Amino acid sequence: MPAKTRNPFSRPRVRGPDDLDPLRAEPVNDRDLIGRVLAGDARAEREMYDAHVDRVFRLVYRMVGDTHRAQDYTQEAFIRGFRRLADFRGDSALSTWLCAIAVSVTLNGLRSMKRTREREVGLEEAPSVGTRSVEADPDLKTRLASAIDGLPDGYRTVFVMHDVEGYTHEEIASTLGVQPGTSKAQLFRARARLREALADFARD
Amino acid sequence: MDDDPLDETIRAAAREYHRPPDPPREAMWQAVARERRLDRARRPAPRRWLPWAGAAAAAALVAIGVGIGRLSRSGESPPAPAVIAAGPSTAGPRVNETAYRLATTDHLERSEAFLTLFRASVRTGSQERLASATARELLATNRLLLDSPAAQGRRTRLLLEDLELVLAEIAQLRPDATAGDRELIREGLERGGMMSRLRTAVPAGTTPTRGDL
Repeated sequence: MPAKTRNPFSRPRVRGPDDLDPLRAEPVNDRDLIGRVLAGDARAEREMYDAHVDRVFRLVYRMVGDTHRAQDYTQEAFIRGFRRLADFRGDSALSTWLCAIAVSVTLNGLRSMKRTREREVGLEEAPSVGTRSVEADPDLKTRLASAIDGLPDGYRTVFVMHDVEGYTHEEIASTLGVQPGTSKAQLFRARARLREALADFARD
Repeated sequence: MDDDPLDETIRAAAREYHRPPDPPREAMWQAVARERRLDRARRPAPRRWLPWAGAAAAAALVAIGVGIGRLSRSGESPPAPAVIAAGPSTAGPRVNETAYRLATTDHLERSEAFLTLFRASVRTGSQERLASATARELLATNRLLLDSPAAQGRRTRLLLEDLELVLAEIAQLRPDATAGDRELIREGLERGGMMSRLRTAVPAGTTPTRGDL
């Protein structure tokens, strides 16, 4: 078994006062827990689920904004996680690995949904998002939500993870399988797009 | 990168973006646990069980085949073949639904009796060996019924599928199983409403409530 890397989630986090309790998972006994799950211990599966479900659900919900779909994707992430647990090499924290699966499941689900919607509505009739739709709505939060929805998947994922959920670039890189520099660049571009979309607020 | 004052406004507003509700933990766990039980049931049985499973399947096949053959003979001419465990056939086997229903009812009666006794024995935990042997036998019959081309009714099929998971779990109980292992199975029985569904599916008054597994 390869040596485990430093747990990137073990240090204290500075969060806003209005944040929901994120219940950051602390993979203290990951190795022991994984061993028990792999040995077929159903209670260990429940323990692993309990330890990580809040974190996974939070992230998925932030990405999809719909309880039913967030529920579906979270379930699917755990089912896949349990099935593939034997492949977990311990290169990252278990929570990071589970979040990576959840992000993958979610992005695939969103793409699939987008394709379906495009087939149903037709590209030219699809509601515009981002800069085009914001002018009709004076509310910053609504316009921001619309602008975030309009970001490309990569930008949006990084923006949600960093600016909304408070992940570090190292955590994001580990979860998405990219370099921290890529995460920083994508966040920079995402913010630029959002600034552009909300420029009139700055003028006001 | 963070110099623009708009960035701070955006970050502050972004905290409200898709603000998550409390996760529906139990609902999600039920779905995950159900899939995991299916996964375990699909997993090939350990080698030491193969002779048991083979013998039980063969015995069940013969018993059901004979039973169906007898039932079919009286009602049809020429006699319909026993199709309960038909293999792949391009000709499309004839299905005796009455025979299938009777065989299924008999199986569900036995399963209900077994699960009733198993549930009662959970606290003592003294009869794992008997329980797992009986569960393996019932599991073999259950799979034959599920594989039958006569298994068309959605309700019956769902019941048999759920029953398969429970029987598979009991069949895998080891003599050194902990009280927690048995309790998990019992909880699964309660959660899925298995006993009440079995009672609905079989005629009343046929299930013993005392006895050995």
